[in-house]
Amino acid sequence: MMPALTIQRFWANWLVWMLMLLSAGLGALFVVALEHLTDARWSVPLRRTAERVSGLVVPGSVAALVALFSLKVLYPWARPEAVTMPLVMAKAGWLNIPFFIARTLVCVALWLLSWKVLAGGSLKQDESRALVWTLRLRRFSPFFLVVMGLTTLVVAFDWISSLEPEWYSDVIGVYLFSGMFLAGLSAVVLAVSHLIEKGRLPQVRFDHLYNLGAWMFAFTVFWSYIAFAQYLLMWYADLPEEVYWYQQRSHGPWRGLCLVLALAHFVIPFFALVPQDAKGDLKRLKRVAVLVLAAHFLDLYWLVFPVLGDRPLFSWPELSFACFFVGLAVLWVRRSMSQGADMPVGDPFLEEGLAFKL
Amino acid sequence: MTENIFGVVGLFEDPAALLKAVPLVQSKRLGKLEAYTPYPVHGLPGVLGLSRSPLGGMVLVMGALGTLTAFLFQWWMNSVDYPLVVGGKDPSSWQAFVPIMFEVTVLFAAFTAGLGMLLLLNRLPDLWHPFLLSKSCAEVTRDKFALSIEAESGSLDVAAAQAILRQAGALSVEVVAFPAPASKVSLNALLALSAAGALTCALAGAGMYGAVKLFPVLPPMSHMLVQPRLDAQQRGMRPPVAGTVARGRMPYLGALGNPLPRTKAVLELGRKVFSNNCLICHGPLANGTPILTAAYGAKPANLQAKKFLSYTDGEIYHAIMHGKNAMPALGLGFTEDERWAVVHYVRALQRAQHAQDTDLP
Ligand code: HEC
Repeated sequence: MMPALTIQRFWANWLVWMLMLLSAGLGALFVVALEHLTDARWSVPLRRTAERVSGLVVPGSVAALVALFSLKVLYPWARPEAVTMPLVMAKAGWLNIPFFIARTLVCVALWLLSWKVLAGGSLKQDESRALVWTLRLRRFSPFFLVVMGLTTLVVAFDWISSLEPEWYSDVIGVYLFSGMFLAGLSAVVLAVSHLIEKGRLPQVRFDHLYNLGAWMFAFTVFWSYIAFAQYLLMWYADLPEEVYWYQQRSHGPWRGLCLVLALAHFVIPFFALVPQDAKGDLKRLKRVAVLVLAAHFLDLYWLVFPVLGDRPLFSWPELSFACFFVGLAVLWVRRSMSQGADMPVGDPFLEEGLAFKL
Repeated sequence: MTENIFGVVGLFEDPAALLKAVPLVQSKRLGKLEAYTPYPVHGLPGVLGLSRSPLGGMVLVMGALGTLTAFLFQWWMNSVDYPLVVGGKDPSSWQAFVPIMFEVTVLFAAFTAGLGMLLLLNRLPDLWHPFLLSKSCAEVTRDKFALSIEAESGSLDVAAAQAILRQAGALSVEVVAFPAPASKVSLNALLALSAAGALTCALAGAGMYGAVKLFPVLPPMSHMLVQPRLDAQQRGMRPPVAGTVARGRMPYLGALGNPLPRTKAVLELGRKVFSNNCLICHGPLANGTPILTAAYGAKPANLQAKKFLSYTDGEIYHAIMHGKNAMPALGLGFTEDERWAVVHYVRALQRAQHAQDTDLP
């Protein structure tokens, strides 16, 4: 194998796993912010778990900073030959190294700040039991929603679509967001089920889980809707600068991956969660969560890896990366589980949340 | 007297009080229990022992039927009955079917959920339900929660029902009788309703008219039109290279004569092609009276004219392939067989209009 390809392959793997970490972390933080924003009660007993999972934005941010070294390797617009591509030159105002680094730094700063405020504030309330934290976090949450929306868009444009800078899609940000939210929910489901199995969340019942399941159910449809909408428009318009992207990703061996993605990201989770009882069934939810996380990985792989060549690469390097990052994420969340209470004990609505009935 | 009693209704302050009261009242088994609440109360169906609603299953089945209907509908129309190439795509492209399949799924599911719940399962609008005329109903539409013990097969121990509701903590207890048979809807009400409907239509129409007249058409977002791009399609549709023979098609036979036999099937094919493509301009009898309005300026040839009766088959074929003046060249859209079949059919039309005695069997 050519050494150049090896380096590209390393960074492609890195990029996918950086996006995985950010997906789980930001997705979980989004769950937390939504609860504050909508004043939801059912999720209060689960919020601490979501806050712990959201800690993954820290390794995710570090991975993003490290990934800045990949620019010249992975991104054609960062290399000298970019000057010869008229379409890329037209985007040079956005796609240039200093501005790219500045955007990444701003995103990382905003993520860490939001995580510090939302997860840290809740921990502080555990001690002080002060009602004011509830109000503060509620006021902060809309700000985070804006941060989430804009930074996801930036991540999608910068790290994913600019891999092939002539291609563009307006909806790729929403596409990434839907996958991230699903990944965040799935990670929260796995963490919750771990705690329940350990007997650490004794009062969490079917009714609480049901809402998590309903959310996952809804967002599998949302992801598919967005994914298909993007495909349909490009397929119909058949513009050369758009459609080649799908051409690459839906022919030859990639075609099989497309089908697997459609099954694992939509058909199976959808039908697994259709029955009313399934949405609150811990065992079922756990399986679906594992499947959805795997599907999100495949999705990111499908977005990134075709730039390396016509055949999907999946071998020891990919497996090693998977082991390393999954292990890192599990250890990271486990460590946060050993600190503090398992539920936001300072939240005045915890009682009400525990008593929640469907 | 008791056969005229619908039931006994107790009012409760909040959902918690209502939920607490149900088991006690239930234990007495005086009659059918029913709750009336201003909004859905979590846990109430369970406490009342209602069986799970079949609505979910109905919606699933109807949703799946919607998907299937939309798929078969489009597939049959677009790729079997009348294949149409749009935007250079295969007529049976599944991608193009998906949005409609999605919409019809949602439509079927939503209508089943909405109408099934309202009309089929709840039998609404139940305008003459006895509870609606009770004093308690007015309270329930505000902020109270009602539990009623309703007569089963016409009998109810009113005194016991009142007692148990009081014991369960009801704020007030009311005995509700069946109302006197309702009078028919009055003529005035019908008139008022029609007038209101007409007025709404008129207002909406006037508003629409005003909006269209007063406000200019706004240009849609155009950034995708003006952005830099690869202009691969700037030349529009390219004509095929001269001498191109499409795959699966016999080469143009020119004046060699019609290669197809004059069978029933061929004439039927010709009739179909003619009706779909030529009839609109040349008229059903090919005598040049178009179905198009006068706004279509050109004058299609009267193929029954002497000149065309003496045309060879090849000359008609040539007109189909290459068009003439205002007559478009339609031939490339047909298969070779279709072209010759329509020539046969034109000949048949001509002969039908100029039948001779020798044509009689
Ligand atoms: C859009 C309207 C239109 C349609 C559709 C159309 N025609 Fe015509 N056709 C015309 C007009 C107009 C003329 C007269 C052209 C002229 O002489 O200026 C014509 C002329 C002709 C002629 C005589 C050509 C000649 O040599 O003078 C033939 C034969 C003919 N059409 C056959 C057909 C057949 C067969 C079809 C269907 C496959 C067809 N047309 C469909 C408009 C139409």
